[in-house]
Amino acid sequence: MTRTTRRRARLAAAALVAVSIALTGCSAASASSDADGGSLTYLDAEIPTSAQVQEAGTWQTRALQQNITDRLLYPNAETGELEPWIADSWTVSPDGLTYTFVIRDGVTYSDGTAVDAASVAKNLNWQSTGDEAKGTTPNAQFPSGLVATPDDATSTVTVVLAAPYAPFLNVLTGWGSGLVADATIDASKEEQSKFVNLIGSGPFVVASETYGKEIVLNRREGYAWAPPSSPNQGEAHLASVTVIPVQEDSVRLGTLKSGEADVIRYVQPSEEQGLVDAGYDVVSKTGVGLSNQWFLRSQAPFLDDVDVRKALLHAIDREQIIETQYTDSWTPATSVLSPGTFGYVDESAKFAYDPDAANRLLDGAGWTERDADGYRTKGGERLTVKTYIDVYDNTAKSLFQQIQNQFKDVGIELSLNELDYSTYWATAFADPEVGALRVGWPHPDPSKGLSEYYSKDGSDLLGLAGSDTTLQSLLDAQNAATDDDTRAAILGQIQDHLIDQAYVVPILNDSQVFVTQQRVKGFSLTDGALPEFYNTSIED
Amino acid sequence: MSNQHPNASAADTRHRQYREYVIRRVAQALLVIALVYTLVFFTLFVLPGDPIENKLTSPLNPLPPSAGEALRAYYHFDLSPIEQFALTVSRLFQGDLGYSLVSGRAVSDLVAQGFSDTIVLAGVAFIMTIVLSLAIALTAVYAPVRAIRSIAASAPIASISAPSFLIGFVLLAIFSFQLGWVSSVRDQGFVSYVLPALTLALAVNGPLTQVLIQGLRKAADEPFVTVLRAKGTSEVRIALGHVLKNGAIPSITMLALVVGELLAGVVVVEAVFTRTGLGFITFESVRDQDTPVILAVVILISSIYVGINLVTDLVYPVLDPRIVRPGHGRSRRSRLARPTVATAAATGTAVPDGIPTKASVDA
Repeated sequence: MTRTTRRRARLAAAALVAVSIALTGCSAASASSDADGGSLTYLDAEIPTSAQVQEAGTWQTRALQQNITDRLLYPNAETGELEPWIADSWTVSPDGLTYTFVIRDGVTYSDGTAVDAASVAKNLNWQSTGDEAKGTTPNAQFPSGLVATPDDATSTVTVVLAAPYAPFLNVLTGWGSGLVADATIDASKEEQSKFVNLIGSGPFVVASETYGKEIVLNRREGYAWAPPSSPNQGEAHLASVTVIPVQEDSVRLGTLKSGEADVIRYVQPSEEQGLVDAGYDVVSKTGVGLSNQWFLRSQAPFLDDVDVRKALLHAIDREQIIETQYTDSWTPATSVLSPGTFGYVDESAKFAYDPDAANRLLDGAGWTERDADGYRTKGGERLTVKTYIDVYDNTAKSLFQQIQNQFKDVGIELSLNELDYSTYWATAFADPEVGALRVGWPHPDPSKGLSEYYSKDGSDLLGLAGSDTTLQSLLDAQNAATDDDTRAAILGQIQDHLIDQAYVVPILNDSQVFVTQQRVKGFSLTDGALPEFYNTSIED
Repeated sequence: MSNQHPNASAADTRHRQYREYVIRRVAQALLVIALVYTLVFFTLFVLPGDPIENKLTSPLNPLPPSAGEALRAYYHFDLSPIEQFALTVSRLFQGDLGYSLVSGRAVSDLVAQGFSDTIVLAGVAFIMTIVLSLAIALTAVYAPVRAIRSIAASAPIASISAPSFLIGFVLLAIFSFQLGWVSSVRDQGFVSYVLPALTLALAVNGPLTQVLIQGLRKAADEPFVTVLRAKGTSEVRIALGHVLKNGAIPSITMLALVVGELLAGVVVVEAVFTRTGLGFITFESVRDQDTPVILAVVILISSIYVGINLVTDLVYPVLDPRIVRPGHGRSRRSRLARPTVATAAATGTAVPDGIPTKASVDA
């Protein structure tokens, strides 16, 4: 790529000398750094859309919220422990219904209002119920029927749940649980959509915003309430962070290489090694939550047979996929959950790449004939599994094609179909012929993702409608488990069951990949693989 | 003197005919805009998926089904398509374009942001296109060295076949990445328009340049040039003062087409140069099926196209009064649809094959 670019550039340079003369007056833009930590230019691969707190689902929006707002608890990405943040301490009643948070003193939002018990309670109630009149939806991660009551005298907030909800503390650490000032909560939904109206207590404040073009974050003066494990306990080092969405991969990379950008998100895996060799730092992380996985629908043709489903588990050579298409930043999936997630159990031994086992299973299931193209048949029907290429993942197409090839080795045809972004969900998920689709994203607590996808009360992607009572009762039970050990054990059983029944085919652990200039120091990613600029500085 | 002059009566008739013609054409234009709007509105209902559905079920951040009801009601998606259409149109007449379903921003803000950016970009590109076409055409006809003339004459072909994505990236690679003269991602005001506008100009100047070269070549062979030369007028004066004036007439008609091509080309150019103009707004809204934004963009773009057509149609009768005469039949449709050919024929210029007509640009 680099070489091609340079060659093209030389050719064109010769042809365009005349034009270039006209441009000599233009000033150069340099990534300058001032004395107090400098200004960082960050190029994201996507456009942040709405800043509305409960709706903020996209990755690029979370990344901004992470740096603008604070949350009650902080998840330590290294240890997995929960740390105090805006909550100095917290207790949970034995029945799992009552949570008491002691709110830290002296914290303010960037508009000067206090982050006190009243404000925290207001936030929690708002997150749980939304605001129907304004068209504001509840936070999907929050339990419904939550009642938060402040006690200003003791600076405590008491939260009473209608039913035990074990993921609650983890959810409170999440990017979507950022605390915001009354001004934000009271604004209309349309006003809430603007980042300049997202008033948090975080280490950065939105200074300006042009939709789709640029968001400038300034350091919050007087910030002094970082989580205990943070190396920096005062104000952010950086004076400002300029976030520019650049959707073209080549332009983002070119801008980094020209020195104009300090940090970019997402490069093609094929570019990574070259960038490391050229002295750039690649910072990557798999976020906590669900791995990149395919769910299998047993109502789809041929997938009602558990042996066929199991054959799919064994037919994928994940190592080969990582080796040929990805880099060290990615790892093969080892479970339905990604490593480092609460309750994660390594299930990889159960779905190791084993074409012999896949062939045996398919033979045993009666798929013994082969047609002219080499695919297995039974009763004249070809063993075909239909899927649509995931539109949310820019590496999906080549990934799916490689799996298609690996399936062919054991005689399974993977029928690949494509849809555009706007019709993908509505069409692919409604298609009864579809046997497998890709899901799996970071979540602050794994149970939310599992319940959302696989419970009858969620999207019920497996289409079981609760008929697998083991799965359904396990999913229900982990919400009610009031101690961590019990809950972790149940999460382990859920992973066992999803793999044993071959409902889910884990593929790989998705990573967020960032490339930084060497002058960028202290750039780190949260447990959800979001960029944290608080500890970052620029040192020439 | 009391008797009306027969010519006055003829002038009155012509005046009346022109007025009727103007009313008819304006009504037609408004009808086209209304039909396009209606068609797009109902097409969006036929297509699978909508942004609310996507929001409710997005694998990134799915919402509970209970939240769906309220959200649908908030955006009036619970009404029938006809009721929604009536509501949208009544708001439109109050100047309320609504809010984006995806970003929550006022549609009028988004469209204003996009349009103000694109209009400058297209304007600069338009001027560059004219300068570029003139420079290439004059070189192709008047350069002293034959080789230079043929290189210049083949430039339009190169321009037509070079993808603007590639041109844009090459310009970016040289002037931003290598030389650092202009930022590849930041908006630095007017300077930031230069490279994208040049990309657009390089992409659209081809057909215009071709017609200009032909026009100049033909005009240069006209007898009046020999006369001027015999009078001792300088070659430069002949070229710039006389040949250009005569030879450029067919190209002027093409400028309307150039505007259309510029607007169509901005989607790609804005993507390469990270600009948030109308192309960007259009792309994003179509990708996300953001109905209010799509409708606003549609009504804006169709108004621009219809407006340009209307102006052209209203100006033609001034140049050629036969057009408004009822019964003067040489199919109005074909004439209006192909002004390039009509004008070229009127001025006796051959139109090379493969030149896009206004009709093909509209399509």
